[in-house]
Amino acid sequence: MTQPWNAASGSMTRTARRPEPASLADILERVLDKGIVVAGDIRVDLLDIELLTIRLRLIIASVDRAREMGIDWWEHDPALSSAARDLAEENRQLRDRVGELESGAPPDDGQRERPAVPATADRPRS
Amino acid sequence: MTAGATATWVYAVTGELDQAVLDGVSGIGGAPVREVREGALSAAASSVDAAAFSEDTLQRRLTEPGELEDLARAHHRVIGTVATTAPALPLRLGAVYTGDSRVRAMLAQRQPEFTRTLAWLAGRAECGVKVWARPDALTAPAEGRGAAARPEPGRGGGAAYLSRRRDELAARDQGRQRAAAAAADIHELLSGLAVAARQHQPQDPAADPQAGQSREVMLLNGSYLVDAGRMGDFAAAAQAAVTGRGGVRADVTGPWPPYSFADGPEGS
Repeated sequence: MTQPWNAASGSMTRTARRPEPASLADILERVLDKGIVVAGDIRVDLLDIELLTIRLRLIIASVDRAREMGIDWWEHDPALSSAARDLAEENRQLRDRVGELESGAPPDDGQRERPAVPATADRPRS
Repeated sequence: MTAGATATWVYAVTGELDQAVLDGVSGIGGAPVREVREGALSAAASSVDAAAFSEDTLQRRLTEPGELEDLARAHHRVIGTVATTAPALPLRLGAVYTGDSRVRAMLAQRQPEFTRTLAWLAGRAECGVKVWARPDALTAPAEGRGAAARPEPGRGGGAAYLSRRRDELAARDQGRQRAAAAAADIHELLSGLAVAARQHQPQDPAADPQAGQSREVMLLNGSYLVDAGRMGDFAAAAQAAVTGRGGVRADVTGPWPPYSFADGPEGS
């Protein structure tokens, strides 16, 4: 935890907004996306800034927006979405393997039941 | 202005500026920060080289991560300094004027709105609350139905594996729903303790050293406008809000200049 008010001075007036080791991501999201917009003679194109920020991988997705659109925003997390892709591929391979097992399985096992593997395996999420 | 050689970079708008405070901070490129005054309002500003801050050049500099960081930190440094002594409206990065007279015109034009917002912000500051969840907090199975706790006797290894996978996926969906609900709960609770609240885009864990290592996911990235005297209580409430939620932690930052509330009480 790095809350400035946990530092020696508990007084907000003294700790307030002094130069603190704020994370670059926290600063960028504020100076690029918040603050008053004024009609400067030279102004940075906000669309470019937005793209730039995304390119810098500081933003993944908006919770609110995703909820509005009914999207599972965790899909945008690179680690999780690649895991999901892996899982789909794994399921496909498993379907194939199970199919092989069933067709070539010894008669005393695996034949009691023919699980509807393709149908269920096609449901990667309930 | 000196014959087109310089332009004016503006950091923040405030009602009063103490030159002694400005003397203690350097602006973009290390330039001294000065006051540009119009009526009851002042802008904290500094001179920049006009050629180096033309539209094209500035745009290009901002796509260079190192340059972007230098500009952002310098901009933030001045705003933070100004905001320690008086209510201040931070300007979004990149507003450059061809001269001080143009800054005065801008102040005059938007004076009623700026004055209103400054009054609203007086005695208040922004508190940032980022809520992170460990991956296992997102994938934890519902009670009494462990993902691996359902043996499938008699089935082949492949079928059992598929069944287990289905359970894991179902558990993950439930974990995510619980996490989203937790984020909404926490935001609602903190909003109730604040004068105003805004949500930012969740950040990429890669931007955070701790979260990057632990592969945490950001559930909530909120900013809350809080009365200055209640900052400590608010931070404690934010920590209390995540207590008892397994794998979830809050990262409280601030006080910040009121970046997220510069658009006034009506902003969203």
